[in-house]
Amino acid sequence: MHLRSILAIARKDLIDIVQNKATLVGLLLPIFMAVLFSFINSIIGGSPTRLLIYNPGQSPIEQVVSAAFSTPAITHAASPSDVETAFGPDGAHKQSDYALGLIVPPTFESDLRAGRHPQLQLFINGDSIGTTQRALLAQALTDYGRQVVNPEPPLAIVTSTINPPQPNTFAENSKAFFVMYVLVMTIMNATGIVPGLIIEEKEKKTLRMLLASPISFSDIIAGKLLVSLTYQALLLLLVFLIMQGFTGNLLWLLLFLLMGACLTNAIGLLIGCLFNTISASGAVGGILVFFFIVPALFVGPLGQFIQNQSFMTIIKAIPVYYLAEGIYNALTSQTPAATMLTDLAVIAGTTLLLFVLAAWSLRHQAAVASSI
Amino acid sequence: MEHQSESELMIEAHQLRRTFGQRQAVADLSLSVRRGEIFGLLGPNGAGKTTTIRLLTGQIIPDSGWARVAGCDVARERQRLKQRIGVVFEEQNLYERLSARANLRFSCWLYNLPEKRIDEVLTLVDLRDRAREPVGKFSQGLKQRLLIARALLHRPAVLFLDEPSRGLDPISAHTIRQIVQRLSEAGTTILLTTHLMEEADQLCQRVAFIVNGRLVANDAPRLLKLQHGKRLLQVTLEEQQDHSQGLRDITLKLDDADDQQRLTRWLSEGRVRSLHTQEASLEEVFFHVAGVPLS
Repeated sequence: MHLRSILAIARKDLIDIVQNKATLVGLLLPIFMAVLFSFINSIIGGSPTRLLIYNPGQSPIEQVVSAAFSTPAITHAASPSDVETAFGPDGAHKQSDYALGLIVPPTFESDLRAGRHPQLQLFINGDSIGTTQRALLAQALTDYGRQVVNPEPPLAIVTSTINPPQPNTFAENSKAFFVMYVLVMTIMNATGIVPGLIIEEKEKKTLRMLLASPISFSDIIAGKLLVSLTYQALLLLLVFLIMQGFTGNLLWLLLFLLMGACLTNAIGLLIGCLFNTISASGAVGGILVFFFIVPALFVGPLGQFIQNQSFMTIIKAIPVYYLAEGIYNALTSQTPAATMLTDLAVIAGTTLLLFVLAAWSLRHQAAVASSI
Repeated sequence: MEHQSESELMIEAHQLRRTFGQRQAVADLSLSVRRGEIFGLLGPNGAGKTTTIRLLTGQIIPDSGWARVAGCDVARERQRLKQRIGVVFEEQNLYERLSARANLRFSCWLYNLPEKRIDEVLTLVDLRDRAREPVGKFSQGLKQRLLIARALLHRPAVLFLDEPSRGLDPISAHTIRQIVQRLSEAGTTILLTTHLMEEADQLCQRVAFIVNGRLVANDAPRLLKLQHGKRLLQVTLEEQQDHSQGLRDITLKLDDADDQQRLTRWLSEGRVRSLHTQEASLEEVFFHVAGVPLS
């Protein structure tokens, strides 16, 4: 394989793809969905979450805490007693105007680095913050501590809770669900882009021209995959920015997105090799869409409402379910690593199988490509 | 001298054979083409013309036999060969959403060429003023010119043209022939396939007839016509009829002694108005040699 040849194919397709109206609509769909779902989420999400923070040392932990909420409204307290008064000593009050209170020591980071066990005081109003958000917050604070002092920060978090914690509501988890759903739809794009790019070369007979040039068949395929991955990365970034989805465990999230990209590109490659007409691949692609949108629907808050176990067993037989579940769990940081690894293993196994099938198909295609 | 003569051959094929399943597409095909020559491969659809081009351009490997094109073994030196040949396919395989210039730019990337070459080839095929238009809006003739421009970008020593005038109007076909002629004069060796005998007659210094994958004749069009023509003479004779003059066409056989005497007499009497040799057309020669019509 030659990098120059691969880049030549990729450059041509990057330009050609935006001039193809059908592909362009497909590319813009996730962005449209991101805008739409952000709007819906702002309606469902309701009023802003009020946070009362005492942070005399301007610690960046304030941003970490506020990032855990979709619409935070921060009030800065003049003294620690202001926070304690709002929630009552040790969270004694039953009512508070605030969802969360936080007291950060003035020299928090330097104390942490010196191993002096600085104490963060956290006040949580169970009426406004559910179990998921609480878990997210705890994870975010620990992660921040690890950023300052690796690997085990001498951090003490004292949490006081007023009112019993509420079970998770759809509104609370809606943002993570919507972000996950749009991310899955964005990754799915490759199942249309890759076969479209490969089949069009066959259908328009330009593949013969390419094979008569110094380029090889594997260069052509690599160029197409590079284009698909580039658009996926750009779209994912846009979706993140629009939906402000940089929450949860980013490492797991990136890992799942990468595996999802591999999975969808493998599917696209297989379709591109098996079919010789856009109409045939379009029909298959149309069916395939259901295998993405349906399993992703039943991950997270909607899945909790489904009582029919047989139905969920069928849904869980579709590997995309594990991709959606992995992304959702990474966004909410609420699942143990073992579950995440299981999800990842299912996607990796499926991807490997599809790549083996695609490679077998590619070998056949390479042999007959010049006769197309 | 022998070595010099060998180096003049830009295409050499010896006993090429290629089968697809049970069907023998090319059988024991041997030919040679000199530098700067326009060589025509003529035959009906399915005769093996395109397969021959694909063999000679390294797109497929022969089952047996060998071929060298522009000094490269077509089976063993395919990468080097691709740099030295240009191919204009039968299909107008262009990226229709891209402009003419963008199509050529892409080929520049493939061959690692400087983009200034684009203007040179666009000028060569007279397409500079249409360079920014999407190819999808081009007529068949314009597309064909662009295909030739694309094939010439990397200055190939040998150019393969598969049915270059198929589907073109007479003016576009004439333009393409002029371009081909100019390329040949500039030293490019050209192998073209066609089923248009008139085109082959006008363009090619030599032609080969191919039927069922086999070459059945290979020579200059004029020599083929002389060799396989009927040697007839069309005479327009002046005649005196009832105090008025009339004209009569008579066909004479050049090999017939009586006809030779009659012609000599008419010439001496001053009665011959015009003389035309009745040369066979290339199409008739094809039928005579191959035993099947061209189309």
